[in-house]
Amino acid sequence: MVVITTKKPVDEVLNILKENDVKSLVVVSCGVCAALCQTGGTEGLKEWTEILENEGFEVLTGIVSDDVCDNRVMMKDLRKIDDSVKEADAILTLSCGLGVQSIVQVLSKKYPNKKVFVTNNTEFMGMTERIGRFRMRCLGCGDCLLNETGGICPITTCAKALMNGPCGGMVDGKCEVGNYERDCGWVLIFNRLKAIGRLDLFSKLREPRNWSDSGHQREVIFR
Amino acid sequence: MGEKKIYSKLGEVIAKGDFVLTGELEPEKTCDLSHTIQEAKEMAPYVVAANVTDSPLGIVTINSMAVSHIIQKETGLECVWQLTVRDVNKLGIAGMIMGGHALGLRNILSLTGDHPNMGDMPESKPVFDLDSATLIKLVREMVDKGSINGHEIEHPPTLHVGGAANPNADPMEAEILKIGRKAEAGAEFIQTQVVYDIDRTIEFLKGIQKYKVPVMLGIFPMKSYGMAKGFDMFVPGVDVPKDILAKWKSVKTDITDKKEQKNVYDQLNYEFFKPFISELKSKNLLAGVHCMAVHYTRIFPKLVEVIGA
Repeated sequence: MVVITTKKPVDEVLNILKENDVKSLVVVSCGVCAALCQTGGTEGLKEWTEILENEGFEVLTGIVSDDVCDNRVMMKDLRKIDDSVKEADAILTLSCGLGVQSIVQVLSKKYPNKKVFVTNNTEFMGMTERIGRFRMRCLGCGDCLLNETGGICPITTCAKALMNGPCGGMVDGKCEVGNYERDCGWVLIFNRLKAIGRLDLFSKLREPRNWSDSGHQREVIFR
Repeated sequence: MGEKKIYSKLGEVIAKGDFVLTGELEPEKTCDLSHTIQEAKEMAPYVVAANVTDSPLGIVTINSMAVSHIIQKETGLECVWQLTVRDVNKLGIAGMIMGGHALGLRNILSLTGDHPNMGDMPESKPVFDLDSATLIKLVREMVDKGSINGHEIEHPPTLHVGGAANPNADPMEAEILKIGRKAEAGAEFIQTQVVYDIDRTIEFLKGIQKYKVPVMLGIFPMKSYGMAKGFDMFVPGVDVPKDILAKWKSVKTDITDKKEQKNVYDQLNYEFFKPFISELKSKNLLAGVHCMAVHYTRIFPKLVEVIGA
């Protein structure tokens, strides 16, 4: 599993730095997911260091970290460059949204006023077909239906995330959203359940998704 | 609707087993309903009820609940309130169902609704908290059990609820099983998408016969070649056969007199739909016909002849 990211327009990032009166920076680049998506890693760090320096920003230190989203790793990595972190007006992170928030959290005690910005948009939790081709196939809804839908998720493959599809927007197995170029998720589910001899599961009337536990700040704590 | 309670004229006619003709009103992006009211008045003598569409193709129009109420009040024509699950969550829809009842509405057609992405506000949040089957189930819980999610309603609504079906859907088997779900949810009638292919329609109607839900067949008599072409191009899941398009086109190109053109279009519709409906009626596959030809009210006297055959 990879958290899929894409690059924000460079100007959007530069503008936000200028708006916040940032002059000096520490750059933290994700060496795992963002590296795979070519939005971080060593290459990303090099690219952004150049952009920033050309624009007159001072890059105090740049690091590639293996798990920006892991608070423990981040705490250790940032401690190693504490002098730069202390001096920098802001941290610029080449990661997903988890990375940014991990840094904000790790620095919250020692540097509660340190600004942290991000160069990427977080797209989804993705399945890798090959580098440069990532598919959203799981939303992390917390109530997995895959055992009943032939291993194909209606929440992510149906444009309307319907529990009882296909809808009237399906034409010849394709979805109305996106000009009939993508497969209808519920037809994929139908074909798969038919192939494995479980159309009884397709015929089942499913209850609406239960949103009561999907409130803000979901967490898993088991010890 | 068997021995169940009857809440509307549509419910009554279906329960009696009389052949039903319903029409369709498609209000637009306007707060002035004079055109819709006029059309309702024109079709009222011929139809049992008329559907009122809910922002079809995801293109925002005046709210269907409000229009249904106004049409009933102003013209006496009973409405089938089309309600999609696209724009409002379960909580909101439950409130709307009670509101709809209070406004005098007695029939709901439960629909998924075209994705906002298709329409003129593509940035809108697609809701789809319910789907077309679970909306039917919700209405039936509210009406039959007088509760929402198990919580009692002081004065429950009394309405009928139906669903849609698409005989053109491929794979058809998936669509048939889907109608099974709607039947299980409590659909009291089915209105189909527009059909032109008789063999396919028969196969589909036979496929859903086991669910024992009265079916009204969706037809779209075409007022003009432009209307036929537009319908063919823009309505998802419906293809107007090429030979029909060619016939309609020849009327446009060969006949210059507008009045004569109108007569020929009307006659062509009559000639196409009469044998079509007769055959399905003779096979006892239909409870009625739902005519979706908006802005074509002059066809209704002929349609009455068509379905009376």
